[in-house]
Amino acid sequence: MNTKKTMTLNLTDQEMKVLEELSVQKDLTKTAVLRQALRLYQLVDVKLAEGGKLFFEDQKKEKAELMVL
Amino acid sequence: MRIPVQLFDHATNDAVEGELFDEVTVEHFLETQRDWRPAVIEAAKAMLKSGAPREGVPRHFHWDWSRKEADLKVLAFSFFGITCGGRLQGLMKLETAGRSCRLPAQKGKPLVYVDYLETAPWNIKTLAQPLGKAPQFGAIGSRLIEAAVRKSIEEGFKGRIALHSLSTSEQFYLEKCGMTAVSRDPAKQDLLWCEFTPEQAELFLGEGGGAA
Repeated sequence: MNTKKTMTLNLTDQEMKVLEELSVQKDLTKTAVLRQALRLYQLVDVKLAEGGKLFFEDQKKEKAELMVL
Repeated sequence: MRIPVQLFDHATNDAVEGELFDEVTVEHFLETQRDWRPAVIEAAKAMLKSGAPREGVPRHFHWDWSRKEADLKVLAFSFFGITCGGRLQGLMKLETAGRSCRLPAQKGKPLVYVDYLETAPWNIKTLAQPLGKAPQFGAIGSRLIEAAVRKSIEEGFKGRIALHSLSTSEQFYLEKCGMTAVSRDPAKQDLLWCEFTPEQAELFLGEGGGAA
């Protein structure tokens, strides 16, 4: 297991509320939610840098490109 | 991370110590292409020539680990390997972000997805036999699935993992590991989506990561 480092995080009330909601919905600790967010952020960044595109597809299978970062 | 893991030597029927590690490099990928792929292809050809049923022929003859080199730097992916006797015996790629459960009881909860898991061809009975050889080491797949479960626990996913099983591996994941067959996935060549609940994962670990 990699050694972990500690940091202090300042969030607004609204950001903390969302973090707490996600934590409950996903059955994760708040730290785990933030680690997931970092992983996804980096993944999207890498894929976009490689020329990839990120799409969301609605139920009608109509794709919309999501502009990120 | 490098830890000793117990494997099984088919030749002596004895336990043998291997090493599980997560510092996978492109050198390991190249080793699979150099040492594994030709043997998988040779076994597949021998099986087809001998009239073996097509569904038993390995489906992973086209895998190319070296194409995953860029993924080594991405946090959302983790790699594990097992060595024994100075050779790479198994390799696995995990996705640790962006995947969620499909089982109704845990739908939407995050899990570790086993994207690729491969055992060296000389350890697989159905591949070694057509080449006139006996399988060498056992329990490679079990040890790698065990590592995936432990990674899931480390990530806070409580042991939840899932994978799309090749048809030739379904029996291993369902019967030996005790995973649940959820459904065939038309978006992934109709492969079977298999999933562990935290309880099943705990049971699997408690049984020593499944039988050899």
